[in-house]
Formats: sequence, structure tokens, C-alpha cells
Amino acid sequence: MTTTDAKIETPSRTLTARRVFSWVLGLPPAYYVLAILIAVAPAVSATLINPNYWFVILKQSAPLGIAVLAQSLVMRVRSIDLSVSGVFAFSIYLASSGLLNSYSPFVTALMPIVIGLGVGLINGALVAYVRASAVIATLSVSAILIGIVQFMSSGRAPGSTPSWLRVLTSGNIYGLSYSVIVWIGISVVVALAFRFLILGRYFRAVGDNPRAAEITGIPLARTIFVSHTFAGTLTGIAALVQVSALAVGTIKPGFDTFMNALAATILGGVTFGVDRGGVAGPFVAVVAFSFLFAMLTVFGIQEPGKLIVQGGIIALAAIIYGARVGRV
Amino acid sequence: MNTVAKFLKTPYRAGAIRLSIGTLLVLVVASVILLPEFLAPENLSNLLAQSTVLVISALGQTFVILTGGLDVSVGSIISVTTTIMTLDMPEVVRVMLCIAVAIAFGLANGYGVARLNVHPIIMTLATMGIGQGLALIILPIPGGKVPEWLSASVAGSVGPVPNSLLWLIAAAFVAAWLLYRRPFGLYLFASGGNDFNARMNGVPVERTVIKAYILSALFACAAGMFLAGRLASGDPKGGATFGIESVTAAALGGVHLAGGIGSILGTVAGAAILGIVNNVMNLANVSAFLQSVVKGLLLLALVVSQRRKTIGL
Repeated sequence: MTTTDAKIETPSRTLTARRVFSWVLGLPPAYYVLAILIAVAPAVSATLINPNYWFVILKQSAPLGIAVLAQSLVMRVRSIDLSVSGVFAFSIYLASSGLLNSYSPFVTALMPIVIGLGVGLINGALVAYVRASAVIATLSVSAILIGIVQFMSSGRAPGSTPSWLRVLTSGNIYGLSYSVIVWIGISVVVALAFRFLILGRYFRAVGDNPRAAEITGIPLARTIFVSHTFAGTLTGIAALVQVSALAVGTIKPGFDTFMNALAATILGGVTFGVDRGGVAGPFVAVVAFSFLFAMLTVFGIQEPGKLIVQGGIIALAAIIYGARVGRV
Repeated sequence: MNTVAKFLKTPYRAGAIRLSIGTLLVLVVASVILLPEFLAPENLSNLLAQSTVLVISALGQTFVILTGGLDVSVGSIISVTTTIMTLDMPEVVRVMLCIAVAIAFGLANGYGVARLNVHPIIMTLATMGIGQGLALIILPIPGGKVPEWLSASVAGSVGPVPNSLLWLIAAAFVAAWLLYRRPFGLYLFASGGNDFNARMNGVPVERTVIKAYILSALFACAAGMFLAGRLASGDPKGGATFGIESVTAAALGGVHLAGGIGSILGTVAGAAILGIVNNVMNLANVSAFLQSVVKGLLLLALVVSQRRKTIGL
């Protein structure tokens, strides 16, 4: 009897092991990058494995993390949002220029989200209903926003950000910054929405094959419009978190914001129409990126070296992942 | 008359070329009427010199976009080229090194996209970072000195024709020859239009895509040399904006980002539109800060007028 049981269990265990192995192999490259970085961290510096240091890393990653979540929404439906820099620039300027000083703090806090929502609605209408190229349309919207900011500021740096708003980044619960809690909270809401709402299925169907989705009755244009609207709103929240992390405003939030967002989204396993990473993949990718930069700083590597290493890792990870699962 | 009739019957694969050229003509006529100094020889020479880098890089970008890809590393290749041209080594070696680096970047991009299944944006984003880092290592701050013949080839003129126009014509001629007079051009349209059908009809899709990225890098290298000659020095971030601007110029010229539709004339028109808009705003003393807004609005207007069948990228 015992012999028979053992015979039955062996293939089952093998099957489970194979499934686990296959699941591990199918993980987005961000997981491997983070695992390698964590493995070598103790050898590089004891600081890198200090839990407090990880809280700092997470805190610094929060704006990018939320922006990546936004980017992943539109990339799931084979679109793209390059207006991130514009929304950041506009929000940071309004919050730090003193233009909203006469209004209640609630207005200042709500402003980036309203801007993000407005930009998302415009992007969505242009891409989904006017059928403009998402690259050009969202880039144009970003250029307009940045131009308005530069015109209003005459190219000068604005003042400091409201001190009360900084509590969003500096305040914490057991060491975990409020901004990180917001990031995790939004990630959970998005993950649940994808899992349980019909909208998640629409997104997946449109991403898999837009033509097939349209033929089967899924409102293609409306789904893409909604994805851009949500992405814009999330970018607005990311901008709010970014404002709270800055002491002094800037009118040049950086071209690399959206480039990093794009890279992290793809390394997290979400590409145009492909959603293997879910919500966790891009989250891990953002943490891996921040940890990588921190480690490079410990090594004393300057900006040029960082760019080369960052580019090399993106290419290598994408190539390895592409070889295993197909198109990245 | 025959030429006009032929132009009006532009093939579908040329995209919205008539709209682009029409816009360009309206823009030129309006500029001439409203700003008399627009036609001044100094201004035209300045306009040409300012637009040539964009035109050359956009022409290279067109090859890649026709395959359905996108090359954002163009700007980094331009920057690297300008820095290599300031290195302390024999001039021939500098030129050869620039070409070798461009081919290496193009090959890496093409191989990554065509053979290793990496998405064009992520592959070229990675090489963009590597290229930018390389440029900053070679020349941390703008400066250095490029060969005198390079500056002379950019600044001088052959009779009444400015050299920058010759650079532009040469680049457009090579691009048009490759696209319309070589099987490679046909393969590009076929691969970008429908890669499965192209493969079924014997088109070497992967090889075509790799060649497109190499050509894009080589055109970027030429644009970098022109920029180095114009600046008479190197600039490690001098090409940074051209990665996106070259895509914008091609899109303004009716090149579909989904691939398979576009033309050389359209791309030149698209780049010219961007160049003239910049020039006219400078002549009209429009605030430099407002120029970004105007360009963005113009771009939106043009993109909106080019309604496509597909939704997305």
C-alpha cells in the first residue's frame, strides 16, 4: 500500500516541481535583477541591507512607482503615455510658485490629480476617438504643458513647496513613509480591479488582440479612453507625491522620468499588449531600479557609468526574457 | 502637368504626404507674406543649417519606422559622434571610429529587435543610455576641436549653394535611392505592412529590420558629423533632443508609426515644417518659452488631421 502511494506521489511532485520551475522561469526580468542585487548587496556595503535604508529606497521610489503603474495601464492596451514629464512639471510649478497660496490646502493637494485627470481625458480622447498616434499626441500635450510652465515662470525656478505637503513623504508609520503606503494602496486597488472587474478583462482582451476584441463586442475606443484617463489620474497622484518629496520646486522635472517609467514597466513584464508581470512586476522593477542606482552610488560610479550600466541591464534583462517567453 | 497629376495620385503607402507638403507650402507662403526678412539670404542659410541635423536624423528614423519600429537612440549616436570627432587621433581614424560605433549601435538595436524579440522602444532605450554614457565619458563637458575640413564642409558654400543644402540633398538622395531604387526599399514597406505576409512571400524580414536600424544609426552618425562641424566642437548632450524630434518630424511627414506607410519627401517636409516653425517664431520674436506651446499645438493639429485606421501607438 505504501509502495503504491509513493508511486502516485512521485509524478505529482515532479509535476509540481516543474510547474514551480516554469513559473520561476516565466517571471519578468525585474525579479532576477532585484534578486541578484540583494544577493550581492552584503558584499558591497552593510548599509545596503539595513532595513531603514530600504525604507528610504522605497520612499524615493514612490513617485516613479505610481507613474509606472499609470504607464502600465496604457501599455496593457497597446498605447503609451509620454505626458508624464508635462504633468509633473505643471503640478510642481503650481504647487511651488505660490499661485495657489490664497486657496485652501485641499485645493493645492487636489490640483495635481485634477491636472492629471484633465490630461488623461485629453490624451484618451485624442488616442481613442480622434485616432491620433499615442506617441505624438501625448508628447505634444507634454510639450504644451512644459511650454506653459516655462512661459509662466520665465524660465526661473519657482519657490519652495508647501511645508505641510511634505508630510506625505516625511511622515511614516513604523518607518514606512505615507507616500509608500499610498503607492502600495493604489497598487492593491489596481490589482483587485484587474482581477475582479470586467474592466480588467476588457484591458486584457484589447491588449491581446484589439481587432478580435472589437469584433466580440468589447468597446475598443472606450476601453483605451478609460485606460488613458486612469493613467492620467495616477500620473497626477505621482506628481503630488513628487511635490511632497521636493523642498524646492523645479520647472525641469527631467526627461528621464518617463524613460525610467517606460523601462521599469517593461522590465516588470508589462509591454505593449502583454501583461505577464501584473501589478507586482512593475512594482518590483521600480524597487530594483532604485536599489541599482543606490548600489552604483556606493561604488562611486558617476552619471556616465550609471547610464551605461542602466542601459546594459535593461538590454540584457530584456534579451534574456525575450529569449524565454517571446516578444518583450 | 504630368508631374502634378502623378503627385496627386500618390500611392497609399506614401501616407499623408499631400497634407504635409500642403502644410509646408501654406507655412512658407504665410511666412513670406507676414515676415519679409524670412527670404533674406542670411535667414535662409541659418534655417538650412538649423534644420539639416533634424532632416538627416529623421531620414534615418524613417527606415526604422517603416518596419514598425522606433529608434530613440538616434540622439545618443549624434552626441557620441560629435565627441569622437574631438578626440586626439588622426582625422581618418576619428571618422572611421564614428562609422564603426554607429554600425555597432545599429547592429545591436537591429539584432535585439529582429532576432532576440526585444521591443524596439526598450532596445533603443537601452542603447540610448549606453550611448549617452559613452559620450559623457569621452567628453564630459562641451568643447574640444573638430577637424577644420569638417567645419568648412558645413559652413562654406559651392557658388550660391550653401554646403548645408548639399548635405541635405545628399542625405535625401541616398535615402530615396535606398527606398525606391533598391529591393531593400520594397522589403521595408512589405515588412512594416505585414511581416507575416512578407515572410510568406520570401522577404528576409529579419535582415531587413537589422539593415534599417544600421541605416538609422549611420544617418545619425552623418547628422552628428554635421552638428560637430557646425559647432566646431563636441557636445556630449548635443543630440539629446533629436531622438524624439526625428520621430516627430517623420510623423509630421505622414510616416505611420505602425509601419509600412511613409515617404522620403514626406519626412523632409515634416522636418522642414518643424524647422520653419522654429525659425518663424524666432523672427517674430515669440518668447522662447512659448515656442514649445506653439509647436505642441501645431503637432496636435497635424496629428488630429491624419486620422488613422488603427488605435494606439
